[in-house]
Amino acid sequence: MREIVTIQVGNFANYIGSHFWNFQDELLGLVEEPHGDPIFKNSSLDMDVLYRAGETQQGLLTYSPRLISVGFQGSLGSLSSSGSLFDNISTYDPTDIVTWTGNVSRCAAEPHKKNLFLQSLCEEDQQKSALYANDPDKEKTSPQKQIQDKDLVECLESGVQFWTDFSKVQYHPRSLYELHGSWTDVQKLDNYGIGKDVLSEGLQIEEMNERLRFFVEECDHVQGIQFIVDDSGGFSSVAAEYLENIADEYTNTPVLLYAARDPGAYAFPVSQKESITRVLHDAVSFSRLSSFCKLMVPVGLPSLRSKLSSVLNVDDQKLFHSSAVYAASIHSISIPLRMELPGPTATSAYVSGAVDVGEIVHILAGQERQNMVTILDTAMPAPSLTDEHNQGSIHRNLHPLTPEVEEDDDDLHAVESLIIHGALHSGDHRASISQVKDAINASYLGGSQKPKLAYLSIALCPLPIPLPFPSIFGSCVGRHGELLGNQSEGAHSRGSLEIDSIPMAARLRSSKAVMPLIERRLGNLRKHGTARGAPGAELLRSWGFGKDEVEDMGEFLSRLLMSLNLQMTLEQSQSKSASEILAHLVILDSSGSEHCLQSWHSNQIYDLYCYVILINSFMVISLSFLLELGLWNHELKSIICLCTDAFKG
Amino acid sequence: MSIRVLNPNAEVLNKSAALHMNINAAKGLQDVLKTNLGPKGTIKMLVGGAGDIKLTKDGNTLLKEMQIQNPTAIMIARTAVAQDDTSGDGTTSTVLFIGELMKQSERYIDEGMHPRVLVDGFEIAKKATLEFLEKFKTPVVMGEMPDKEILKMVARTTLRTKLYEALADQLTDIVVNAVLCIRKPDEPIDLFMVEIMHMRHKFDVDTRLVEGLVLDHGSRHPDMKRRAENCYILTCNVSLEYEKSEINAGFFYSNAEQREKMIAAERRQVDERVKKIIELKNKVCTGNDNNFIVINQKGIDPPSLDLLARAGIIALRRAKRRNMERLVLACGGEAVNSVENLTEDCLGWAGLVYEHILGEEKYTFVENVKNPHSCTILIKGPNDHTIAQIKDAVRDGLRSVKNTIEDEAVMMGAGAFEVAARQHLVNNVKKTVQGRAQLGVEAFADALLVVPKTLAENSGLDTQDVIIALTGEHDRGNIVGLNHHTGEPIDPQMEGIFDNYSVKRQIINSGPVIASQLLLVDEVIRAGRNMRKPS
Repeated sequence: MREIVTIQVGNFANYIGSHFWNFQDELLGLVEEPHGDPIFKNSSLDMDVLYRAGETQQGLLTYSPRLISVGFQGSLGSLSSSGSLFDNISTYDPTDIVTWTGNVSRCAAEPHKKNLFLQSLCEEDQQKSALYANDPDKEKTSPQKQIQDKDLVECLESGVQFWTDFSKVQYHPRSLYELHGSWTDVQKLDNYGIGKDVLSEGLQIEEMNERLRFFVEECDHVQGIQFIVDDSGGFSSVAAEYLENIADEYTNTPVLLYAARDPGAYAFPVSQKESITRVLHDAVSFSRLSSFCKLMVPVGLPSLRSKLSSVLNVDDQKLFHSSAVYAASIHSISIPLRMELPGPTATSAYVSGAVDVGEIVHILAGQERQNMVTILDTAMPAPSLTDEHNQGSIHRNLHPLTPEVEEDDDDLHAVESLIIHGALHSGDHRASISQVKDAINASYLGGSQKPKLAYLSIALCPLPIPLPFPSIFGSCVGRHGELLGNQSEGAHSRGSLEIDSIPMAARLRSSKAVMPLIERRLGNLRKHGTARGAPGAELLRSWGFGKDEVEDMGEFLSRLLMSLNLQMTLEQSQSKSASEILAHLVILDSSGSEHCLQSWHSNQIYDLYCYVILINSFMVISLSFLLELGLWNHELKSIICLCTDAFKG
Repeated sequence: MSIRVLNPNAEVLNKSAALHMNINAAKGLQDVLKTNLGPKGTIKMLVGGAGDIKLTKDGNTLLKEMQIQNPTAIMIARTAVAQDDTSGDGTTSTVLFIGELMKQSERYIDEGMHPRVLVDGFEIAKKATLEFLEKFKTPVVMGEMPDKEILKMVARTTLRTKLYEALADQLTDIVVNAVLCIRKPDEPIDLFMVEIMHMRHKFDVDTRLVEGLVLDHGSRHPDMKRRAENCYILTCNVSLEYEKSEINAGFFYSNAEQREKMIAAERRQVDERVKKIIELKNKVCTGNDNNFIVINQKGIDPPSLDLLARAGIIALRRAKRRNMERLVLACGGEAVNSVENLTEDCLGWAGLVYEHILGEEKYTFVENVKNPHSCTILIKGPNDHTIAQIKDAVRDGLRSVKNTIEDEAVMMGAGAFEVAARQHLVNNVKKTVQGRAQLGVEAFADALLVVPKTLAENSGLDTQDVIIALTGEHDRGNIVGLNHHTGEPIDPQMEGIFDNYSVKRQIINSGPVIASQLLLVDEVIRAGRNMRKPS
């Protein structure tokens, strides 16, 4: 068994997580359903990868997510931080204080009211236990339930305040951790420095590590950590600190990091100061987070509505809506990580292409390019294989969820891992594994752009739509996620009542299309952080970063870019010696050793000159290297002049 | 008013309004914390929005739980919390003292006195009080074997303000013994070497001190013994699980056979390590009925556990990092980072190791150790909030003992020091001061009385009566404190009520600094607010 521990840090991460665990809960429930769809019963997915079995002190067996969720104090709404599973407070009178015989004063906060959905969950639980006690045949009449479900969906659509409002999962008491920041308003927890201050209070990071240790200790062989962070605010520094500890303690456990942000994080800044704070936060947060994980997936578009409007009807204002799309994609990516298969090449009738976190990291980031920032694309719902309505192939329907990437990817050295599950052949007929395989291979062959390497995982089990899923589907989506031809016009969007499941396709792509994202962060860090007289230098200092550290961060980002650029320059220059020099340069950049440079021949240096001109995006780095060279090699000085002229021109 | 020109949105409070804002904030905070103080204070039960319960009588915890918005109050709260960070106690007293200084100053300021003059008086009074503190303290000789009685008295004084008497007295012995256990001559005391473990089980009075260690996990193999006597303990940080050597090293193979081979080769490496441990076990445990325990900071996978179980070894994985240090201090031996060159000297020893299971939670007790320098306080309680409250109290108790050992001095409690210092300031110091600064000294002296006054108030006594009785006794040359049962003066030395010297010094030091700063504020500007809409 290859367990995964999931960590969610920050509000939006918890929203995504809440949906994510609802999907898992739905899958678990559908297996038990007596007259359910056999596709879910034989899913060949091992839920133990994400879940843990436990037992309460009263001897009740439990099955709960192997999860640590970190949120700010008060973000749990009506859910108690010790979870509902192990609740035995009822056996004691809470007003009975055994440790003090003197006066007692009671200060109670306004209790959060449970919404209709949570109330119905509660009732269901009670009814279930009552049914077991009395008469198991006495079921509720179904029409009555129909009406009720409609009300529940409406209640969730109209108001979700906390991520716990739509969660139907029972959590382990060690799963939910509330970060305590004295006298810090959660509204103000919007940059890297404040998060750092909050975390430094007390032994909070220690407690978080302890909880992680609790879950890891149970695992016989942990395959990796799935980490979702809301990186638009102070939580990114909490996560960075956490990741640093993880890298330290569990060195060989790979971390798959989703850095998510909600559409609200793109709100127009009110002042110049705020906009500088924000871009610096983005740069710092990106470089810190990426330096402690094995694979980073930035997700979170400013607007999902504009990107995915053809079939989805997402209200960008609602976290409840947007987080569902990201959760569905993350769910898809996690499918191959828990397929029950003997080996990576084995296939069964239900699943094919199992990997573990380490392997997926190796596929995407371990090739010659070593790029660890990947793009997440998704097709939700995925079109059927033989589509007669011109929806196009699955590939053409994949839309990036990663912000700030190049739209048309012409990178010949891209590496991708594609996951398709529950695909339909035509209409609402499910396609078999081999049919999907053939269709995808055909589309790779016929497509204009081919990735250098593609890993394909297929599962039959579609994405189940649980009741608390938002109504975000357009009217053209059918009960099994098929795309209906007759686009009956009408603003009514469909949700969990009309749709049972949808086919999904998701893809992680390591490509140079991600370059603009890194470039912008590097540029901002240089412009506002390290340049002479930069306005943000003081700010960074107050966040606890010295000049050297900021420069290191910049260097780290430029190395990320360099690794992406490597291939491109090689193709264009076609010069072997230059490529060697380039390789040397990369080594030099990382190790700082300077000896190899002295032995260079002058014509090699000429090649280097070509190379420098080719990659003008690296002007700053390359020039600084040449300047270092100039100290010992006179020939270089003229080249430097040439270089600078070239750049000016 | 130039700020108005620059930023028309700025809110400006002028001189007296600004001062009153500060004074009111300080008084408000004082009112909230006032009822906490002393053995007759009120415990606060905080109920959260989801019904979470938190019990506290600790000023520090309470301040952190409060949603303070007022900037002045936050400033005071930060000082008070910093007080707790440095000395472990005195949060409530700091807030009370600052509040009282402001309150006393208000009287004079309303009569037209300039805050600057008061602040000068504070400065003089503070210096004099600190000098008096040095004279007043009761020195304690620590040496090789510290006087246990005095440590107990200090711990009891702290604990009785947090827990009911019987439990407080029980914990007193526990915390004193714990600190003496980890204390090494000529080394600073590291309280982290006292592990605080809790079980939600039984009652608060079942809390006890374990000389040795309690780990919050157990072995993960069905065939391993649940109880063992006469155990060798190997503390190590060695990975005993098969993992791919390097994520990025590449894992290239062309067929299944090669892959199997590579996996087998890597598996063998892990097995080698396990075998080295088994070898050592066989070396030390043959011919006697000793047992062998491995406690590892890294993971141990099922095949390795299997090998170890077959060799009769009990193995625990993923131990806390800090427990590596604690284990060595408790059991002896050393923490090893590799299984090369293992010898008997690396091993620690414990007379008894056993597992205790509560639901899904497992605890491993490592007891009967020789000469421990680390120990565990095992807190039991029926529910989480009770446990949390006891835990807070134990932490305070431990720190008060540590402070006493490091200060090599204690202060007489029950308000005795405050009354004595006040009389000293009024009777001796005030006369040496020229001019109006005298009033500052007087305000400071009166503010000191806030501690006995609040103690009396919380006990339902008349504050005037109490203060008069106490000052009267002091003028007669007797050093007395307040008996919170009767309101009569008592001798704290006889009753065994002692406070920490460093805590008192810290309060006297930091209180007036903040109060002075707040008094000297004559304009409050609120500008540059966060204009982003809360969405």
